[in-house]
Amino acid sequence: MTDTIDVRALHKRYGHSVALHELDLQVRPGTVFGLIGPNGAGKTTTLRTLLDIIRPTSGTVRVLGEQPRRGGAALRRRVGYVPGELHLEGRVSGHRLLAFYAEVSGATGEAAAILGAARELADRLGVDLNRPVRTLSKGNKQKVGLIQAFMHRPELLILDEPTSGLDPLVQREFLTMVREAREAGQTVLLSSHVLSEIQQTADEVAVLAAGRIVARGDVASLRLGSMRHVHVLIGEGDVADVRAAFERIPGVEGLEIGLRAGDAVQLSATIEGAIDPFVKSLARYEVRELTVEEPDLEESVLRLYGDSDRAAAEHATRRSRRRGE
Amino acid sequence: MSGILPVFRRSMHESWRSLLGWTIGIAAVLFLYLPLYPSFGASDEMEQLIDSLPKQLVDTLGYNQIASGAGYTEATFYGLMGFLLLTIAAVLWGSSLAGAEENGRAELDLAHGIGRSQYALETALSAFVRLVWLGLFAGLAVWAMNGPAELELEPLRIVGASAALVGLAALTAGAALLAGAATGRRIWATGVGAGIAVLGYILQALAKQSEDLQWLDALSPYSWAFRQSPLADGVDVGGLVLSWGIALALVMASALVLRVRDLRG
Repeated sequence: MTDTIDVRALHKRYGHSVALHELDLQVRPGTVFGLIGPNGAGKTTTLRTLLDIIRPTSGTVRVLGEQPRRGGAALRRRVGYVPGELHLEGRVSGHRLLAFYAEVSGATGEAAAILGAARELADRLGVDLNRPVRTLSKGNKQKVGLIQAFMHRPELLILDEPTSGLDPLVQREFLTMVREAREAGQTVLLSSHVLSEIQQTADEVAVLAAGRIVARGDVASLRLGSMRHVHVLIGEGDVADVRAAFERIPGVEGLEIGLRAGDAVQLSATIEGAIDPFVKSLARYEVRELTVEEPDLEESVLRLYGDSDRAAAEHATRRSRRRGE
Repeated sequence: MSGILPVFRRSMHESWRSLLGWTIGIAAVLFLYLPLYPSFGASDEMEQLIDSLPKQLVDTLGYNQIASGAGYTEATFYGLMGFLLLTIAAVLWGSSLAGAEENGRAELDLAHGIGRSQYALETALSAFVRLVWLGLFAGLAVWAMNGPAELELEPLRIVGASAALVGLAALTAGAALLAGAATGRRIWATGVGAGIAVLGYILQALAKQSEDLQWLDALSPYSWAFRQSPLADGVDVGGLVLSWGIALALVMASALVLRVRDLRG
């Protein structure tokens, strides 16, 4: 079966700056693929190339088996897209806006059915389609953006930061929509800088940084969530004693211990891998406060960069193998 | 498959209120100026006043013919206020393509089942249809006041004058559209559209000042429309064909140019 999205050696240059370096990306049919990376990594550039909004400087792009430029409007009818920066302006109501897109992207005679689906989605997400779109809040505009992408049940959904501006409840509903789309056989390519969102939905992930893919694989293998920052306030303890207790635990790095008001001891550390040994050691003390934080994406990507020598080596062998075939 | 001309229909639906406003504006100008003709343009005092003004000024404003109904209608409306209003409308509507790209609407539209050329062509069609409406309405209003204001115009020549005015505006809109299609920037679209209109007006004004500068008329779209008085002598068919022809060529070029480049994000 051919890949739904097949990008090879995609290069995009704007003047002297290079937005994408030799990007390879394959998305299998019926899967959810997550593209993560910090702002400016090239996520939006990649997604816009798939829709022929921008054109590659070099390399090949195939979407649903066709080149976006040659496939034109007919190909884009098979794709639903939420742009990274959604601007909805004008006096038109959400309903009329969606009716327009249902007309241009739906099949003949399907407009009514598509609008029915749109109303259903609007109910689920909780947005009033009778109001002029410009009067909607950012989150509600984003809901309309999601509806216009999902309503005609396209074979492929390309979603650029789809949950930005949505409250947590709606984000959950959105994740359900993505899972339903996959169950219905649709393919989803999702970009985000929110790790948890990708972890909850994606089958496969690629991490993009500075226009290159620095890591890829299934979510678990990337071990993106394996690092934690912990901050603890321990009541009554000896600094040296506490240090000795935690220093020896495998995976604990950057241990900082200081005295606080009274006899309290403040402890901060980064834990790589299992958190259990740390928690077990902690149990001996009186814990007054405890926070465990996930690292932000920037940090995770930087860590992956640390592994990028290995990633580059893998990349090179894969390429030479492909050339050898 | 989508219905016929979806982008055009959406544009018309979204702009009918504003079009109504423009129509009222043109009606206001016409109903303000034309009824004054019997007491103003055709009066002896006016003739004396005009005789006392510098000849260059009178020529530039087209007031040398103001004592006839045709000359008065051209000097006040077709060559001045009507030209101004339709030019502003043409620049605004011609820039809407670049505007859509700047505000992100084009990205969403063109991610759907709409082709790039189709997008440019239907945007142009919407601008042209609205300009034609304004020209048609102006012609009807002039015709309606022809008798009451004692203008003594030939009805067929009113059609010619409106066609010349709309052709001139269409050329301006086409220039704005092409600049927008090429750059994706509204400021360029507006600048080029307005620039072409102003330049055309200046060139014809200079051409009127001396025999040596008359060749400038050949470069001025304004001259193509109005050098031969469309109301007094009948519209210059060559000029009419030229302005409409260039307007259409600019639209075609816009459709091609928009296809070949990246959209701005």
